[in-house]
Amino acid sequence: MPWSKKRGQRTLGSPSAGIAGEVAFSAAAFLSGVFGVSLVLISHFAPQQVPEQVSAEALSSSLSSWVMGTVSIAAIVIGATRLVFRVMHLSASDEMRSVIATKAAALERLAPGQGSDTGLPNVPRGRAITDSPGEHLTYRLPIVAGQDGILGPALLAWFWNTAWIILLAVVVSGFWIGRPRWILTGLLVPFALIGRWSFLYFVTQLKQRLGVGPTVVEISEHPLKPGGTYDLFVSQAGRLKLKRLSVELVCEEETFYRQGTDVRVERHQAFGKVLSRERDVEVDPQVPWEQQFRVEIPQNVMHSFAGTHNAIRWKFVVKGESTWPSFCRSYPVVVHPPGATQNLSQP
Amino acid sequence: MTATWRISRVPLEELQGLEVSVLWHTEGKGDEDLHVHHFQRINETGLKEIGVENQQTIRCVLPATPLSYHGQLIRLSWCVRMRLFLEDGREILSETPFYLVADAQRSPCVATPPQGEESTTPTQGKPSMDRESRAAQTRSALASLRRD
Repeated sequence: MPWSKKRGQRTLGSPSAGIAGEVAFSAAAFLSGVFGVSLVLISHFAPQQVPEQVSAEALSSSLSSWVMGTVSIAAIVIGATRLVFRVMHLSASDEMRSVIATKAAALERLAPGQGSDTGLPNVPRGRAITDSPGEHLTYRLPIVAGQDGILGPALLAWFWNTAWIILLAVVVSGFWIGRPRWILTGLLVPFALIGRWSFLYFVTQLKQRLGVGPTVVEISEHPLKPGGTYDLFVSQAGRLKLKRLSVELVCEEETFYRQGTDVRVERHQAFGKVLSRERDVEVDPQVPWEQQFRVEIPQNVMHSFAGTHNAIRWKFVVKGESTWPSFCRSYPVVVHPPGATQNLSQP
Repeated sequence: MTATWRISRVPLEELQGLEVSVLWHTEGKGDEDLHVHHFQRINETGLKEIGVENQQTIRCVLPATPLSYHGQLIRLSWCVRMRLFLEDGREILSETPFYLVADAQRSPCVATPPQGEESTTPTQGKPSMDRESRAAQTRSALASLRRD
């Protein structure tokens, strides 16, 4: 089997014990919240009625009343919601739950600004893909968001090293006034190593961003259909000396699953077609690398699909390998099933 | 899609209700996605009215997507699922799979592995179908369930 998740009958405990535990926890949270709110209300309207066991300071100030009141209301909301949810689903089958969820989603769609039914359920609309017109072909494809970001490494390096400088100041001041803080002093070295790593990572990302110029990918038509043939234009700018530069059409299966308390993601390339692979490519700021291809989508391939935990994504991938930081940029596209016509005008 | 069903070997008195669904679900490494396209619940009174031993019909128009798919990590399957609720609290689940394929396709979509990997052929021995033959297969599979 290509997948290895266990499908046996073993369980860690009986399902009814789990449900009973969840119901008990929710009920306890709800009742604790009611008790807390009652105390706050009593202390506010009839302070003489507060039980002796409750500390006078606990409810004396306005701030503590607010904190206790907020926490109690949160406990009531969480407890009640979980309790109602669990009780409502006690006698419902998986199919019944799915129907209820679909009806709820249909009601949400009635609200203005929500998505609409396109006639192709679970196929992404890909509106953002056709937002930008191209210079050479009809549409300029957007890059996968977040793939080229530098903000994260910059913020990490900035905050970590600022914190390290403050720590250093505290340690030095300790020595200065004759009360050295040895634990903080010991932490300086490992923290400095992490700070160095974060700074180097930021510099690497910055070099990559500055050195590797923008990659432009344009396509003649969108969405794509199996059996269709399309023009693709790719341009790579910057000052680069690449060992290899490749352009590929890729279909990827993406699946999310829980392992303990972690949510993991696994990807597998279900289809791959190399459109171009060139060696020893030199890119000059004045003369970008430009190519136009003819792309044919095979007949019997799966359309784009987006479920809650599983997805099938199509994209064009531009990869450059060099001694300079290599890069890999993805440009998503949507593939429809053959013969399908998406109703984009439907409200 | 048109399918027929019938219940045998379970006395009507033991039945509390039943649900008939036409749905797709995913299998594989990831958590399951499930979507019910057609759903029908019949309670005890309804069961007595229709008589479960008589042949019943389900009719629904299938959507254009998602199509059946056999991949490495994901398998997307359509099926007609019947869930019987018994008086003693037990449930009996019966499922009949079918393929949803586009008119232009001859068989369900399969993952085409990159060069060097062997192709998986999970559809070995199963014929390709258009909508009519899919319905026919659904009918015959349900009939075989009845025989069981």
